[in-house]
Amino acid sequence: MKPGSRALTLGLGFATAAALAVTQWNVGFVRDEGYYFTAAQSYEEWLRLLLHAPLEALRNTERYWSYNFEHPGLTKLLFALSHLVFTTWLRVLPDALSWRLPAFAFAGLLTHWLATLGLVRSRTTAILAPLLFWCAERTFFHGHLACFDIPICAMTVGVGVAWARALGILEPGALGQLTKEPALAPPSGDAPALGQLTKSEPPARARVWFALVYGCALAVKHNAWFLPPVLLVHGLFLPDHPLLLRRRALQTLPFLLLSPLVLFAAWPLLWHQPLRHLGDWVAFHLHHVHYAWYYLGEELRAPPFPHVYPLVVVALALPLPTVALLFTAGVRLTVDFARRRIEPLRLLELALAGGALLPFLTGDTPIFGGLKHWLAFLALLTPEAARLLELAARRAAATHLVSWPRALGLATAAALLPGLWQIAHLHPYGTSAYGELAGDLPGAASLGMQRQYWSNNVTFVLPWLNANAPRGARIFFHEVNSESVRAYQLSGMLRPDLRQAAGPADADYAALQWHREFRDREPETWNAFGTRRPAMGLYLDETPQVVVYARPGMPGAP
Amino acid sequence: MDKGSGSFGSLAKALLPLGAVLALGLGSLAFDLTLSWRLPSDADYAEVAGALRARARPGDAVQLWPPWAERARLFVTGAPVLAEEDLATADYAGIERLWLLALPHVPHGGLEGARASLERRGAVRKGEGQGFGALWLEQWDLRAPPLVSWLLPVADEAHEVDYVARRCAHVVVGSTVRARGGGAALHLRAGIIGERAYDKERPAIGVQVTVDGAPLGTVTVPPTAPPASGWHALDVALTPAAGEREFAFAVSSSDASRPFCLSAWTTAR
Repeated sequence: MKPGSRALTLGLGFATAAALAVTQWNVGFVRDEGYYFTAAQSYEEWLRLLLHAPLEALRNTERYWSYNFEHPGLTKLLFALSHLVFTTWLRVLPDALSWRLPAFAFAGLLTHWLATLGLVRSRTTAILAPLLFWCAERTFFHGHLACFDIPICAMTVGVGVAWARALGILEPGALGQLTKEPALAPPSGDAPALGQLTKSEPPARARVWFALVYGCALAVKHNAWFLPPVLLVHGLFLPDHPLLLRRRALQTLPFLLLSPLVLFAAWPLLWHQPLRHLGDWVAFHLHHVHYAWYYLGEELRAPPFPHVYPLVVVALALPLPTVALLFTAGVRLTVDFARRRIEPLRLLELALAGGALLPFLTGDTPIFGGLKHWLAFLALLTPEAARLLELAARRAAATHLVSWPRALGLATAAALLPGLWQIAHLHPYGTSAYGELAGDLPGAASLGMQRQYWSNNVTFVLPWLNANAPRGARIFFHEVNSESVRAYQLSGMLRPDLRQAAGPADADYAALQWHREFRDREPETWNAFGTRRPAMGLYLDETPQVVVYARPGMPGAP
Repeated sequence: MDKGSGSFGSLAKALLPLGAVLALGLGSLAFDLTLSWRLPSDADYAEVAGALRARARPGDAVQLWPPWAERARLFVTGAPVLAEEDLATADYAGIERLWLLALPHVPHGGLEGARASLERRGAVRKGEGQGFGALWLEQWDLRAPPLVSWLLPVADEAHEVDYVARRCAHVVVGSTVRARGGGAALHLRAGIIGERAYDKERPAIGVQVTVDGAPLGTVTVPPTAPPASGWHALDVALTPAAGEREFAFAVSSSDASRPFCLSAWTTAR
């Protein structure tokens, strides 16, 4: 590795975490965060008990850890630890920021690992790869949340990097020197870059590290279940001559047997009756409910879902240049694989990207949640996409009609500015974002795409409610769950005297989130309030997101 | 191929990838940055709301297009605001003139399709229409037979059926609703409220209609299976009679748990 490379990747990681930390203040608490905040509060109580009465804490793990049993412990434990240190003890951070702090760390790790994969191509690619991932409102938004989607995306890439390191295929120059070879085609031959890989066996500690990283992935989210088969397939596709790569892979895989240690260590719920709790965890996800989801004018409720669903959502939700680059990267990797002209590391990226997407192509897997469940698919295509972007600039620079810095600057600006505009224009309403292929938000609304999810857009109307609602007024918050309402009150975003109403009938105000499947709530509100005229609302590029009704006579009513 | 064209070809080939990236990036950015010009401002809405207050009369309604453009509800007070999705089959009961309030420049807006749907139902466009910034207002004569009586609902009540707010009365399954009215034709609409309409495992709900005790017709509402509509219709001519008649709507099903909605009115022809 060149001098300064590690500093570059870590620096980019820190910059990512810092950027997310300073832009999180107005990001609403999504429904799941409400649950994870509650879980973190319970786990923090357990941590404090552990410090004062360890034996009692060990005896009572189930009491504190049964809440949100369907997800492993690591991220929530980190949320709890962060809150314990920075808010409860040091009192230097507000509650939400300290809960979200570990999520920013995961986002930083994701950048670090993407840059590490990019660095194998060039320093330019190392910088561009994470930028391509983050310069879209959907991904940028998810980076802010104390949830599992960015953490498991990061850990998937991290497992890939650790695996590559354990196999010795993460070598700078292993993919050919871009400066010497500006053409798009890679070097010819079945295993083109093997000669540039190290001939010495990677140290055993790289294999142990791989197992630990995979253990962390397993302790973050169940998406990790799919990784060992993907890595096995990758290993089987590797050539065994001249570097015995296949053998290295097959010798590395058994180290995964160490990984459950991390899962157990980070999830105290498993310390008593582990088989029962593991069974509950698995069963929850094998029988997960299907939430209604609006897609091209159709409300999808149950399998079979359209096989192309995840790809269409990606194409419509992300900025068009990003979509085009990721698409080209995916096609190029696939074609090179089909022609047996793909280097081991690029094959790994293709395999992990495909593995992240594959479950959602089957038509049976729950498809709710926009593109958050297959973020790793996007992330793992960005090193190749960034390389293509760099090569486009290098080809142009080779004509001497445009200088290399100018060509790179133009290519970078063209690729990233639409995404940066999307962020500037829509943040913090990330679940509502759509790209140019959809026709932005109005086009997506006309096409019949899911308008939003997770209820965080309600933050726009909270200041209005705080200013207008009389003391003790009852608000129907619709999709916002009680946990999130409590978090808004705890954070000072919502007045603590305002009370939740169960429905429009017993409410003074109703903040309705536009969902196709909840369209019955608006006429219900009209009937209850005797008016069809909203008091205010959040309309993004004209599309209704959150519509507030006030009972006639209440302050703020039209 | 001569040397010059060969070098031009290789030059173009070398510049093509960057050119494609630039075209995509600049095109996307231009689309994003000009989108706000295609969307109405508060002032546009205030202007069109003023025009509607001045021009609308009883029996008028405002139809939004695209139907999701409901920000208009904040401003428009001169006539009821509707967000029907299928303009060819929408009820428009009791509405003589329709003001189509459109965002003509939004992506995939489909204003021409909306006009074609209105024409399919026999509506006639009156005049050329008028622009208010990024809004467009045009008047349509629905040429619908005049309303004689609203039978159901008796008050201003609306419920969502098949994702559209319908003027209808929430009726308990297993009950019979009675209403009196005159007219030469009865129009009945029925549907299940909310998401439970799509539960395929549930049985159908039937509505038996009698007029002055004599059977008139039946509407069967099965679980909704898109793209079929969940809003079911019965339009039937009434035998001539002097004065008002008693209509009875008996709603029945082996599953009475779903919220059900009925709308009924009579017209002069």
